[in-house]
Amino acid sequence: MSLSYLLRRLGSVLLVLFGVSLVTFAIIPLLPGSPARVTLGVQATPEAVATLERQMGLDRPLPVQYVSWVGGILTRGDFGTSLISRQPIAGEVTRRVPATLTLALAALLVGLAIALPAGIFAALKPGSPRDLGVSVFSQLGVSVPDFWMGILLILLFSETLGWFPSSGYRPLSDGLAPFLQHITLPALTAGIISGAIMTRFVRSALLEVLNQDYVRTAHAKGLPRGKVMRKHVLRNAAISIVTIVGLQMATLLSAVVVVEIIFAWPGLGQLALTATLQRDYPALQAAVLLSAVAFTVINLLTDLSYTFLDPRVSYT
Amino acid sequence: MKRSLALVLILLLALAGLAAAQTRGGTLVAAWMQEPVGLDPHITSAMSSYQVLENVLDTLITLDAEQNLVPSLAHDWVVAEDGLSVTFHLREGVRFSNGKALTADDVVTVFERIMDPETGSGNAWRLAGVESVTAPDATTVVFELASPNPSLLGHLASFKALGIFDPAGVEDGTINTRPIGTGPFMITDFQPGTRVLLERNPYYWEDGLPYLDAVDIRIIGDETVRRSALISGDIDWAFAVPPQSVAELEARDDVVIDAVPAGAYYYMGVNLREGPLADPRVRQAIAFAINRENVGMAAEFGNAAITQDPIPSTSAWSFDYAPYDFDPERARALLAEAGYADGFEIEIMPTTFLPETIRAAQVVQADLAAVGITTTIRTLEWAEWLQEQGEGNYDTYICSWNGLIDPDDFFYAQHRTGEVFNFTGYSNPTVDQLLDEARVVTDFEARKDLYEDVNRAIVDDAPYIYFYNLLQIHAYHPDVQGFQSRADQAVRFVRTWLDR
Repeated sequence: MSLSYLLRRLGSVLLVLFGVSLVTFAIIPLLPGSPARVTLGVQATPEAVATLERQMGLDRPLPVQYVSWVGGILTRGDFGTSLISRQPIAGEVTRRVPATLTLALAALLVGLAIALPAGIFAALKPGSPRDLGVSVFSQLGVSVPDFWMGILLILLFSETLGWFPSSGYRPLSDGLAPFLQHITLPALTAGIISGAIMTRFVRSALLEVLNQDYVRTAHAKGLPRGKVMRKHVLRNAAISIVTIVGLQMATLLSAVVVVEIIFAWPGLGQLALTATLQRDYPALQAAVLLSAVAFTVINLLTDLSYTFLDPRVSYT
Repeated sequence: MKRSLALVLILLLALAGLAAAQTRGGTLVAAWMQEPVGLDPHITSAMSSYQVLENVLDTLITLDAEQNLVPSLAHDWVVAEDGLSVTFHLREGVRFSNGKALTADDVVTVFERIMDPETGSGNAWRLAGVESVTAPDATTVVFELASPNPSLLGHLASFKALGIFDPAGVEDGTINTRPIGTGPFMITDFQPGTRVLLERNPYYWEDGLPYLDAVDIRIIGDETVRRSALISGDIDWAFAVPPQSVAELEARDDVVIDAVPAGAYYYMGVNLREGPLADPRVRQAIAFAINRENVGMAAEFGNAAITQDPIPSTSAWSFDYAPYDFDPERARALLAEAGYADGFEIEIMPTTFLPETIRAAQVVQADLAAVGITTTIRTLEWAEWLQEQGEGNYDTYICSWNGLIDPDDFFYAQHRTGEVFNFTGYSNPTVDQLLDEARVVTDFEARKDLYEDVNRAIVDDAPYIYFYNLLQIHAYHPDVQGFQSRADQAVRFVRTWLDR
């Protein structure tokens, strides 16, 4: 992998982010309703709305608002001030990013813990009853809405059994036990669904490799089954699996929105939803921009990881 | 003599026992359903914000649980005979939670800010008629009025929008997240969307209060999760539980359901400006066509006080005027009389922000279809709904008014010609005259007579079609003591204690 390739990729990431920033900035204020009206509620007089919009800086032309917003981010890391809480958004976001990242990672781990064994288990005997069983599980997992799964888990593990709290977030710095207690149900909710999706990809990636000539040859020359799996099958299926894992991680960052809402998890998704409902433009713009950053960076890392997994892949 | 002494002793012992029973300390974990929309009392309009501020700010005077005016920061108040000035005498030795002494000048600064159009407060109208607020000395505050306003005291007592805070918070911007008040608790942590932590104000002026060390407010938006959190013991107190779970929760030993009819009503607002709805007979037909019992069942699963006029039966101002008992035949006749025997088409606009309005709209849709009126339900989320309603872009909408105490609150801003919250375009000179008159009359009976006429006229003209008074329902564990659901919807933890 050459440096120039890396620079080119980084350049394209920046270009994408620039585009995203332009589009979000242009589109978000087109939403009907205004933050001033939401703040003032049914008691909004036209004068009060106008005054508040002026105070919020919404009376300035859009390009002027955009330049001052982007300028603030680039020069000071300043994402502006929330129109509703009137607090700097950068601080708000910094507080929330760890919560979302932790949840997405935990969900991914749960998903992998389900998908890898289940996918391999099914792929080894395609068409068998156990393959059918795994298919049924993954079909179910894909079809169950996350909010419903979350509520079922709460009813069972929180309300009936009392094993886990029904909502809330405790950072790792509060200690491992409270952290695990709080993250288990949300991570399971997002993870089971993600696992169901990944199972199907793992299964088909493995099946494809299992049918290759070199696998048959490996078997034919008398290599033990475990070694064939490890050295030839999994290694070669890794690229497809890593791709889907990367995509899932990126998807999870946004998919956890619903899970965050159900479990009162103070992450970026919750911020984005609240910001949308309250028309808190700067907060919403920051959330969208950060999601775009996460998505592009994860994609970049996924691509780069190919060179380590497969020596034949090289970027120049 | 001996016997009475013994009695006094027993009484004293009983009192001591009562006092001892109130345990000091502990943290109440409370779940709110919506997050506060900013905490600047002059800017926000969200009930969720006021419910937090309820425990942080004091008003000059306040309402007890029976809705009587009682002293708070002012130990007494005098209304001038002509009604053109109100003088408040402030309690001495009151401190903000930052230790700063409260002065009459602070009170003046706060009221000048809310009345300043530059502040853009949606609550400035509550001070209608007030020309100036001054502080002749350190413990006296005088409101001078251009015209008498009998509802002024009610507003000053019931709205935390008119609460007193340390004006220094406006300068340094902390007013939005941590307003400093003189109330029983102070905000020590505010994480938007997640949590508000209230801790005991060490300088609180009422001796021995509050009992709790802290109130940990969590925002749990999903009602099913809030219910589970209460049952599993994650939270002690819930702002509201799903209406469909009320019966189930009531049957449990470990949950107390505390419900009271509130000064809040759900209604359908009708745009009177044009089309068939401009005809009062058509609106009356709609009022006859709707089965309010079914609306209450669908919207609140029966946890509603069905009504045809706005003021709840628990209020001293209640009239219980009910001319519109469910009567589709009558509705059809009125429609025919107005020339709409074949019906017409209108839109109903509920909002996702209040899911009960969507359920109500579905019942209304079916009822109106039965008398030949075809309706489309246009469900909007809150921000868009507010804009459409504010600009008059609707035929009918379903919403609620909350936190109403004085009869003026129920009628004036909503129905007087040209008033800012008169979204329906209603205008009736007789009603206007009665409303103005009722604002300057101070005698209770005379005022009540005036409002009875107002109530009758508005119900008859039907710019609003009233459905039900909200039951304010809070649910908590039996060890949460000293809390009471209130008709004014205020959530006060000052006398709450944990029996653990």
